[in-house]
Parts: sequence; C-alpha cells; structure tokens
Amino acid sequence: MSSAVLVVAFVVACLAVLYARREHLPFGSRVGGGVAVIVTFAALGWRLYGDYAGTHLLSTLLAIPMLGALVILFMPRQWVDGIRATSIVFMLVELLVSTWLLDADYSMAARGGADAAPAAYLFVEDGAWIPAFGIRYQLGIDGISLWMVLLTTLMTPISLYVSWSSVSTKIKEYAVAFLLLEVGMVGAFVATDLFLFYVFWELMLVPMYLIIGIWGGKDRIYAAIKFFLYTMAGSLLMLVAILYVASAYHRQAGGEWSFALADLLRLSFPLEEQLLLLCAFSLAFAIKVPMFPFHTWLPDAHVQAPTGGSVILAAVLLKLGGYGFLRFALPLFPQAWHFGLESRSFGSFIAVLAVIGIVYGALCAWVQRDVKKLVAYSSVSHLGFVMLGIASANASGVSGAVLQMVAHGISTGALFILVGVIYDRRHTRDLADFGGLAKVMPWYAVIFVIVTMSSVGLPGTNGFIGEFMILAGTFASDDLGAWQTMFVFVAATGVILAAVYMLHAVLKMFWGPLDQKENLALADLNHREVIVLVPLVVAVFWMGLFPRTLLDSIEPSVERVLVEYRADWNRGFSSEVTLEPRPEPPAAPADPAAEEGDGADAAGAPAADGAGAPAAAGGGGR
Amino acid sequence: MSEVFGAWAPLVPLLFVAVAGLLLMAVDAFVKERAELALGTSLILALGAALAIALWEQSATPEESELLGHWIANDRLALFIDIVVCAGASLAALLAGGYLREHRLERGEFYVILVFSAFGAMVLGRATDVLTLFIALETLSLGAYGMVAFRRQSPRAAEGAIKYFLLGSFASAILLFGSALIYGATGHTDFVGIAATIESGSADLRLAILALALLLVGLGFKISAVPFHMWTPDAYEGAVTPATAFMAVVVKASVFGVLLRVLFVAFGDEMLASGTAGWPPALAALAAATMVVGNLAAIVQKSVKRMLAYSSIAHAGYIMVGVTAAAVGTEAGQWNEEALASVLYYLMAYTASNVLAFGSLIAAGSYGKEATTYDDLAGLGRRHPWIALPFALGVLSLMGFPPTTGFFAKYYVLEAAVLAGGGMVWLAVLGVITSAIGAYYYLRVIVFLYMKQPEPGAPVAVPMRSFYVGAALVLSGYFVLRMGIAPGAYLEMAIEAARQIG
Repeated sequence: MSSAVLVVAFVVACLAVLYARREHLPFGSRVGGGVAVIVTFAALGWRLYGDYAGTHLLSTLLAIPMLGALVILFMPRQWVDGIRATSIVFMLVELLVSTWLLDADYSMAARGGADAAPAAYLFVEDGAWIPAFGIRYQLGIDGISLWMVLLTTLMTPISLYVSWSSVSTKIKEYAVAFLLLEVGMVGAFVATDLFLFYVFWELMLVPMYLIIGIWGGKDRIYAAIKFFLYTMAGSLLMLVAILYVASAYHRQAGGEWSFALADLLRLSFPLEEQLLLLCAFSLAFAIKVPMFPFHTWLPDAHVQAPTGGSVILAAVLLKLGGYGFLRFALPLFPQAWHFGLESRSFGSFIAVLAVIGIVYGALCAWVQRDVKKLVAYSSVSHLGFVMLGIASANASGVSGAVLQMVAHGISTGALFILVGVIYDRRHTRDLADFGGLAKVMPWYAVIFVIVTMSSVGLPGTNGFIGEFMILAGTFASDDLGAWQTMFVFVAATGVILAAVYMLHAVLKMFWGPLDQKENLALADLNHREVIVLVPLVVAVFWMGLFPRTLLDSIEPSVERVLVEYRADWNRGFSSEVTLEPRPEPPAAPADPAAEEGDGADAAGAPAADGAGAPAAAGGGGR
Repeated sequence: MSEVFGAWAPLVPLLFVAVAGLLLMAVDAFVKERAELALGTSLILALGAALAIALWEQSATPEESELLGHWIANDRLALFIDIVVCAGASLAALLAGGYLREHRLERGEFYVILVFSAFGAMVLGRATDVLTLFIALETLSLGAYGMVAFRRQSPRAAEGAIKYFLLGSFASAILLFGSALIYGATGHTDFVGIAATIESGSADLRLAILALALLLVGLGFKISAVPFHMWTPDAYEGAVTPATAFMAVVVKASVFGVLLRVLFVAFGDEMLASGTAGWPPALAALAAATMVVGNLAAIVQKSVKRMLAYSSIAHAGYIMVGVTAAAVGTEAGQWNEEALASVLYYLMAYTASNVLAFGSLIAAGSYGKEATTYDDLAGLGRRHPWIALPFALGVLSLMGFPPTTGFFAKYYVLEAAVLAGGGMVWLAVLGVITSAIGAYYYLRVIVFLYMKQPEPGAPVAVPMRSFYVGAALVLSGYFVLRMGIAPGAYLEMAIEAARQIG
C-alpha cells in the first residue's frame, strides 16, 4: 500500500468520526471510526518510519507519547474533544506498537544454545549521550521489563480515558501530563544505563505530582507534596549510591566512566560497602513500592488523586519499586543481599517488613470506611507479597512476584476505576452510604465482584497464580533462614484477611437493603466505563487461566538474574573493590539474528543485537 | 585579534566593556529618550561575552603573561568568568529594561552602574594579586550597593542597602587586613609569589594561616556563606529585582572565580590544602552549615524574593562542596580537575536558572502590583501560562531536577564529592538530604502557580508585558534546557577552564 492511500484513508476516517459525532450516530459507529483512525494512523506511521522503528522499537515507544505531548501543547485549549481524541489516539498507537515487543523470543534456550553466552536484553539500543561522563543512551528489554512496559502501555490509555468523566478542567494540561508520565514510565522500564534510569525515574515525578496536586481532592496539595518529597528523598540517596558505584568503576577501569548496568555489574565491593549502598538503593525502591514503614504517603496520594491518577499510580508507578529491586538492587549487591547483617540475609529483613506490610495493610484496609482508602491499603498488602517473593530469591518466588506485579496492576487498577464510577455518581465513598447497589447497578456489581475475586486471589483469576508461586517460593527459599515457614504462615493469613476485607466491602456495598433514597436512581455502567473495564476483566481471566503466556518469557529472565546472583555471592569476599574483566563477546556466527535466517539485519551494528526478530516481522508486513 | 591588539588580546573583552560603559555614560547624558539604554547595555555585555568566546582558542604566550605582570591573569579561567559574568549581567540588563520602565524607575544611572559593576566582576575573575583582588572587589561591590539602593523612596531598599553597605565595608576591611598580613608573612602580594614563599618555608606560617582565614571570611561574605550571610535576605528583598538577579549571579560567579585562585594558587601549599588540617575541612564545615541553614531558612519564608535569597545561600553551599572536593584526596598542585570544572559548570547553570526564576517573578508583577509573596502567584498557571511555565522550569532547575541544567550541575558537584571519597561522601549525602528539604519550598512555588486560586477579593498581581523580560526568559529558558539535555559542549568549556589551575 502506498503512503498516499493511507493518508487518504486516515483523513476519511477522521472525517467519519467527526460526522458521526455531529450527527449523534450510535456509539458503536463512533468506536468503529475511532479504531479506523488509529489503524490508519499507525499504518501510516509504520509506512513512513517502519525501517527506523524496526531497529529502534524502544526509542519509538519513547517518542510516540513525547510527540503526542508536543502535538497537544500546540492545540487550542478550547477544543476539548480534539485534545481528548488526540491523546487517546497517541496512547493507543503506543499500545499497538508495544505489542511488537511480543514477537521476540525471550527464552534463553532458543538463543544460541548452552555454550554461547545468551544476550540478556533484546531490542538493545546504545549510543553516547554525554561522552564526558560516559553516560549512555542505552535501552534494552527482557522478560521482566517486557510485561512492565505492556502493563504501562495498556493502563495509561485506560486511566486517561476513564478520567474524562470526572476531570473537566484544564484538559490540555491533564493530557500532556499523562503523556509525559508515560514517557517516564516506559523509559524507566527500558533503560539499562543507571543514569538514564535515574533521569526517567525522576521524570515521572513531576507529572504525577501535578496530577495529584491540580486535579485531586480536598487535601490534594498536602498529598502531592508528601508524595513528591518522600520519593525525592529516597531517590536522591540512590543517586549518591549510583555515583559511588560509578566512581568505583571509574577508579578500577583506569579513568573510564560508565553507568551501564552491564559494566557496573562486574564490580564487587567489600561487604560493608555493599550493605550501605544496598540500603541507599533499597530506601528509594522501598518508598516507591511502598514497603511497610515507608508507606504512609500512599493512602494520602491515592485518596486525593483523581481516578485516573490513582489507577496509573497503583497500576504502574508502584511497580517501579519492585522492578528496581529486581533489576538493580539485587544484582548489583548480591553478597550484601545474601549474607546481610549478622548472618541474617538482607532478604530476610525485607521479608520481615514485607510480611508486616501484608498483615498491617490488610488490617488497615479492614477498618476503612472510605472505599478508596480501603483499596489503597489493600495495595500495601498485595505489594508485601511482591516483596516477599523478591526476598525469597528463588525462581518460583521471583517469577511469582513479577506475575503478581502485573496482576496487581490490572486488578487494583480496575478496582480504582470501579470506585471512581460510584464516586462520580454519588460523590461519596463512604461504605455506610451504600447498600443493595446490586439491585440498581447489576453490571457494576458483576464486574466489581469479579475484580474482587481476582484481588482476593481466587483460583482461575490472576491474583491466585502469583500469590501461590510466591508462597511456594518462600517455602523453598535458601535465603530466608529459619523463619521462612513463619513468613509463609503469616503471609498466608494475609490471603485470608484479603478475603475478609474485600468481601466485607462487597457485602456492605451491594447486598442488604437498598435503604438510601439517593441510591435508588443510580445509573448502571455507561459505554465509556464498559469499554475501559472489559479489557481488564479479560486480562484477569486470561492471566488466571493461561499464566504460561507470561511465565514463558518471565521465567528465563528471572532465572538468568538468579543464576548470576548465586554465582556472585558464591565467589567469596573481597576486602577491596575489584572489577572483573569484560566478558569476551560471543563469536560473530553466534549472532542470533543470523541463525534465524534473517540476513538483512545480521550485518547491522553489533549493538542492534536481538533486533532481528521484530525487524523481520516488520519486513514481512511491507 | 592578536594581530591588532598584540599582547593585549586577552584583555579585549575587559577593555571593550570598560570603554563601552564610558560611552554609555555619555549617551545617557545627551540622549533624552533613554528607552533603549537597556538594549544597548545588554548588547554591550553580550558582545563582551562573545569576545571572550572568540578568544577562547587563543592561548596566552609567555611574553603576554610577562607584559601583564603578575597583576592580572589572561587564562581560560578568566575568560570563562568573563563569559558567565557578561551573560548574567546582560540578562540582568534585559530584566532591568522591563522592570525599571514598568515601575517608573527608568534612569540611565542604573545601566551605567551595572556595566561598571560587571567590569569589576570581570577584573575580579582575573585577579592574581591581592591588590587587584581588592580593587576589583570594591568596584564590583560599590556598584552593587548603588543598585540595591536604587529605589530611593522605599524604606526597605534603604534598609537593605545600609545593611549591605555596612557589613560589606566591614568584610572589605577584613579582606584588606588579611592582605596586609599575607604581605607581612610572605613579602608578596601576588598569588604565585605567596605560594612560592610559603612552599620555600621562609614565610611566617602562623601569620599566613591567619591571613588565609581573614581572606576566607571576606570572600565568604560576598558569596553569602553561613555564618556571613545575614545581609543577604534583606539586601535581596530591598533591591529592585533585576539588581537582585545581578547580585545573585554576577557577584557570586566572579567571587567564586577568584576564590578558586586564592585557595588553589596562593594557598595551594601541601600543608595548607591538606584534606585533614588545612583549609579544606574549614571550607567543608562552612559548606555544610551553608547548605543546612540556607535550605531550612528558605522553608519558612513568606516572600518569594526572600526565599530565592536563602536559596542562593544554599546554592553557595553546594558550590563550596565542589571547591572542597577539588582539594581532597589529591596531591598538592594536582587538583581534581573534575571538581573544579563542576564548580565552574555550577556557576553557569546557576546563572541561567536564577535569571529564569527572577525574570519570571518580575514578569508576574506590574506597577504598584509587584509580585513578592506566594499568594501573588496563586492561579498564575491558569491566567498566564506563559509566565508560569518559565517560573516552574526555573524552580525545577534550582531544585536540581532532570532534564534541566540545575540537575546536571548538582549531579556534577556530587559526583566530584563522591569521587574524592572519604569524608566528602558524607558531605555529598548531606547535600542530597538538604536538597530534598529544598524541594519543599521550590515545590511551593509550583503549588501556588498551578494548584491554588487567589482568595476572592484579594488584590492580584497583574503580570506586565515587556519585550525585554520576555527575551530574557526565552534566552535563559533555552540555556536551562540546552545545558540540561546536551551539556557536552558546556562541560568541555568548564573542564578546559578548570585545567588552568588543575
């Protein structure tokens, strides 16, 4: 298809949508038109930039929302419909493009056999950014970050779309904030240079701060500042730790700077230094997760944030904490993680806090009258599971943790949307104001119960698989010492408590007499809400019934992290900083792209390693 | 240029600014319509910066150094300070062009004072002798006193100016006393001679240390290091805002430039500059106190101008961390170039971010409705997004947030401190903790800009419209982003300049 045809098709689709709006044609035709707009737009983009995108898929993923933000910045603020449509189109295109990531093969076995060193990351991009400091623009993705990126690209359009019912002021700024937030989130998940990661990590902070502070509830400013300061305090300490690690590399490597994770992993520090550095990293990530004593910003932020903000905060932003532990803290300081303090592993300290968080979060959720606060505290509890899984440092536990992060993103995101639905109608979230809603809002009740079940962890839904794997992994862990059975026991009571508080809330909201007269005339879910919730419900069941879709790519990457981790802590202590030599690059014929018979890209730069598969997919389409 | 000016080529920016300043005075006297003086001043100073950049590649030959004697340096550090000072002063002149006219204060003296004060700052950046240092510092300061007192009728301006003048004279006297003592101790007034005498062991060391302490106090006053910072908030608040911007960027940049020379050239002796016993621990203590007090005091301010004053104190603390880091963990004479470069880069970054913040503050008010408190900024993001946006960018940069230049500057200083190792790591951690505290008051600006609406019935500050202020905002905003996203070229410049003493 030539580009001219696509341009015409795109314009026709746009006009059709405008016509459908003006003539108030049925909703379905507008959705169809919207889909046509997106498909033609994406096809056009692919036609024009496909060659670039094939080899720079991750950069493309960063560029699309950035471009969207720029486009919206120059749109007239009065044209609300246009701004809404444009922002959603850009996000959906982003989602569409991000599905190309799935084409690659993330399992290590398929990549070069047993003896060739498998490439840790796919879609690698590498370029100098600030040569004076050795700071590189280095992106890459593996089975762990893959699902985090997909979660981001799925949840961002949903959270923006769901906001249109409650956010009516400063639409332009709102859309720009969400698009910039998406840049930051995707960037943080795909950066493999610590400095770049830090920049994206901080970049997420301002849009989220503005989202809470401008469009939030009554105490929004307090909540926004608390959110900002907590995160910033932690991340600045992490910056010092990053600098310390990089400067150690600088000394060892004879004056060469590097922040690339692959380079810094070759360093090993004396145990005491590792512990201090690990503490600095952990603080930043623990605040973000948030783990038990650092969680106090979360209920405030969630309660004050607008619905869309809460969804994205719960679904994606919190995941960066767990992701950071797994990607940076654990691999960089394996001995500190394993040997820890006074012969107790650092992981077991994390596990203690995680278990406290599970029970404490659940108990707090139980006594909440505000549904949104209840969901917020349930997040603290669920993320305790994630941290327990990471602390267990074995394949089942860590894979479960990654799965649970995705599951939590979907089910808690859906819960926040559902809370927002009722809040838009009643302007209250107090459990005492509801009762018997199942009679007036049957579909709402159905979806609420499904999502509740997933949050509780009913088998067949996504919550079950992750929690089960985490508990199994903790049971079999080598890292947690004598208390691991205790951890499993206490954490398992958290599952029961989750059922208690969630079912308690469902009971109060949906059953019993319909005794409030304001509730009598409540409308059931509208089109917009259905559109938003259906994909999430599908995902809940898909992940619950076919978890292998995710685990097939998660497990090899987790396995690689753990193999390196075990090799590292087994190596023996050093009393001073040492640097391993750079591993020999695998022999040229072992290039996976070449083996897959994709001759076109095999001759490309060695940095484009692994980009062969998607390029082949793109090439086939043209 | 060297064909025409010969050995004097490195002094061309200096001479150009001086002569142009004299011409400006004449023009001011004869031309009734004074409107475009601001533009002229700004162009003069911008040309000064351009000349300094043009001379960058030209290294000084030994004959040239001979000709200039030991009074004045003609190295890249001097040119670097020229560039920062001229650029900062040029932007301040643009701000003045908008501000003074709006507030019915438009008088030609201001621009003339500004140019000569900037001239003093440029000389100060080149001073390699305590006498040149003193004269240049006085030239710079007298101009600054005049600018602070420029709004004569305002009691606040008078108070600020008197405080600044009295304490400043006191500090100058201390500095002069220190100079006298160092002459007594070593028999030299030039930095190289002082260093040579101390190293040969023929100097009276106790006297030299006393002199060093006095010099440090005198210069510490000018960069408003705690505990010599008392004048800063009052002077900053009382001064007309362009003068405040001038004081914050130009005075600080040039005094830090000469501070590097004093510490590393004159007192770079192995013993005096040792990481355990010499001036580095003293400077580290000053830096720690400055960061803590500056940031904590800024939190409780109600006036944005005062807040920015305390923030400038806090930034002086971060810069001093870089200065200290250059001397720690190194051999005497082999200073840590990276750390020195981080100081210079910070000066550049601070200039751009501060002009952006002060410029937006100026733009947010108009005659009789000047914006000073946080409340004056309420709702500006909605009513005047094109003023709120640069303001937000400015405070984010001052906060040290990526991808602005402030982040890079702070990052670079921290990197230098961490690389120096030892106790400096803890100073870096303190710097980080205080910047997290600092985030609070910078965020408050954004809170008021975007998240609050003015109280019903409260008098609101009406933003002014001015081409000059707009131009200054665009220029400084460009630099804030440019130096944050792709700082490469600017870093190179700072590193090359730092090599002169490193």
